Amino acid sequence: MKKINIIFSSLLLAVSLLVTSVAQAKDIKIGVSFRMLSDVGYKHGELIQDTVAEWNSSGGINGKKVDLILYNDECKSEKGVANATKLAYQDNVHVIIGSSCSSVTLPMVPVITKAKVPQIIPHSTSSKITLTGSEWIFRVPVSSRFYKIVQAKFTAENAGTKIAHIYVPDQASMDFSKSMIAYVKDEYGVDPVYEAQAGEKETDFRSYLLKAKATNPDALVCSGLVDETVRCLVQSYEVGIPKSVARVANSVASKVEVPTNAGKAAVGVSYAAAFAASDTRPIAKKFVKHIKSTYGVVPGHDFSQMEDLLTMLKPALEKAEKGFSGDLASDRKAVRDSIAGITNFTGLASGPISFCAAGSPECRDGNRTPVMIEYTKGGKNWKTKVAGTVTFNASAGL
Amino acid sequence: MDKFKEIIRQYPFLGFVIAFIILMLVPSVFFTDLYQSHLASLICINIIVAAGLNIVKGFCGQVTVGHVGIYAVGSYTAGCMFLYLGSGLWLTLPAAILIAGLFGVAFAIPSFRLEGPYLALATLGGGEAIRLFIENGDFFMSTYGISNIPQPIIFGVPFDTPDKYYYIAMPIMLIAIYFSFSVLRSSVGRAFMAVREDPISAAASGINVKKHKMLAFVLSAMFAGGAGAVYAHLPPGYIHPNNYTVIEMVTFLAMVVFGGLGHIWGGIIGAIIITIVYDLTRPLYEYQLFIFGLTIVLTILFMPKGIGGFIDKYFIDRRFKTKTGAASK
Repeated sequence: MKKINIIFSSLLLAVSLLVTSVAQAKDIKIGVSFRMLSDVGYKHGELIQDTVAEWNSSGGINGKKVDLILYNDECKSEKGVANATKLAYQDNVHVIIGSSCSSVTLPMVPVITKAKVPQIIPHSTSSKITLTGSEWIFRVPVSSRFYKIVQAKFTAENAGTKIAHIYVPDQASMDFSKSMIAYVKDEYGVDPVYEAQAGEKETDFRSYLLKAKATNPDALVCSGLVDETVRCLVQSYEVGIPKSVARVANSVASKVEVPTNAGKAAVGVSYAAAFAASDTRPIAKKFVKHIKSTYGVVPGHDFSQMEDLLTMLKPALEKAEKGFSGDLASDRKAVRDSIAGITNFTGLASGPISFCAAGSPECRDGNRTPVMIEYTKGGKNWKTKVAGTVTFNASAGL
Repeated sequence: MDKFKEIIRQYPFLGFVIAFIILMLVPSVFFTDLYQSHLASLICINIIVAAGLNIVKGFCGQVTVGHVGIYAVGSYTAGCMFLYLGSGLWLTLPAAILIAGLFGVAFAIPSFRLEGPYLALATLGGGEAIRLFIENGDFFMSTYGISNIPQPIIFGVPFDTPDKYYYIAMPIMLIAIYFSFSVLRSSVGRAFMAVREDPISAAASGINVKKHKMLAFVLSAMFAGGAGAVYAHLPPGYIHPNNYTVIEMVTFLAMVVFGGLGHIWGGIIGAIIITIVYDLTRPLYEYQLFIFGLTIVLTILFMPKGIGGFIDKYFIDRRFKTKTGAASK
């Protein structure tokens, strides 16, 4: 009896594995490696899940179900690499979306390049990522090489070139400040009046801010993650840096927590981002309304970039799927070529997004239109105004 | 069978040779994709750290919560040697072991005067200080991390994919385990245990307590440093300060506690199980840390001796049954 049970169980297992593998062969698999730590981080994850569920309920991709595999990388490179390896070799996905953090995306690039899986980036801005020259990487957000120019030019021309920089040891924050410093030096021949690297998760910026105040700057750059940026802005008023000194932040300032938590200190803060919630285009208004009602937050550019990514990915997958042969390697190549064929995509981003075939930054930094935004009101009901948009040529800032 | 056991007992090195042959065959027999090789390499690295941690914590009874800092020292020694000297694993590995050993000396000094939670705090501070120093230092590439750290090339074959790198990590792990066994089964190992049980009695028995505490920290640090170097070269060869936080330290400690403190196999079994469980719970990212934390709490509550305790109990029971059986006959 025991033997029969074992044989029966083994057969059942084999049949179920076979059924699963057959079912899986029909699906299109999307893998996601994402920073899902904060409340907003989880909401980005929810946005992907909801969108893919919507695709599936409306017939999937050319009738094929989309299988979404979502992993949290906690913004740690070790986990990002493990996720990319797992998604590429074990989950056999057709395309990878991720990551939120540049320090995670960067080491994922050699993994996906070796595995030949297309990866499309929703948030990471570090210019180093596309400089790797991988043919398998695509970036939806604006690269830091464009941000540095627009922010530096805007600040220098509107506030002045006496700029004080305070940044934290985070890749995007440091990259932003250092690139801006280098650009101002190159273009205007001016060094920053003050430059300081604060500690990780710094809570008290007052000593740095007092030193910055003593240099009588035209502009103060607070470049950090959400909490550090908020503290730096709030404390800049506490130490008595006058309102006339322009406050500048990196693209993190587009996150809803910054105006909400900084309150009045957010007013007048300028930052470059890919999307402004105050955008008056109907598509933007509709999106803001949708995110507010579904997820309870006013969307920053992290939401808009994810939305744009998913919106452009669907037709790309539909196009690629028509040429699917069933061989994963060639199917992945078809997806890559299909994404590379996206030109002049118009979505929530302030300018068109275009990719091309070569694995160069010119081809893979799809969005070249940063928008300069300024907060006009802080607190829960924050408001912004668009100070201007610039579309760069593909090789700018390289 | 008994004769085979007797040979292994007499020549333990033979056991490792057999283990090496079996582990060489494991990928081709059991692994179905490259991710499993990546996971196996990570397990090997974690085993090296856990085996080292077991020396200082399990055998010598010294509380350390800063080992992840020494692991970072190993990784960054390898990373910086590549970055500034262009060195490969065969040079960076011994250098990392050596430099980590020196850091072990620094970590051992507080143990002469501090114990328990105070020593834990001191070592925790040390580990975090190392990470923050790296994170804020341009020399260490700060938060950009060090990338493209190369994998070794043997006879013209680059070991640059997860499946190939396993054959680098696995033998290093076996050497580390063999070394750990050799030390712990020697008079030094027994001295460690004496220090753990009662330092005063150990001193009264003629054991130099300070020297043995120092030795335990240094040996343990050398393991962590070696593991750090192997990790730095693990494809794609990227290190970042974010990978050496307190959470990673707690994970290493969990491996030793779950496996069983003071059991030679404890850290090894713990490293295997924790790494696999951590991976299996990856899709449950919302609950992963909760599941992980709960596992540690339940282990400490209901299985204080870890899995090693069960293994010990099994062998003791078997020996008892064999002896009582023989006596009744």
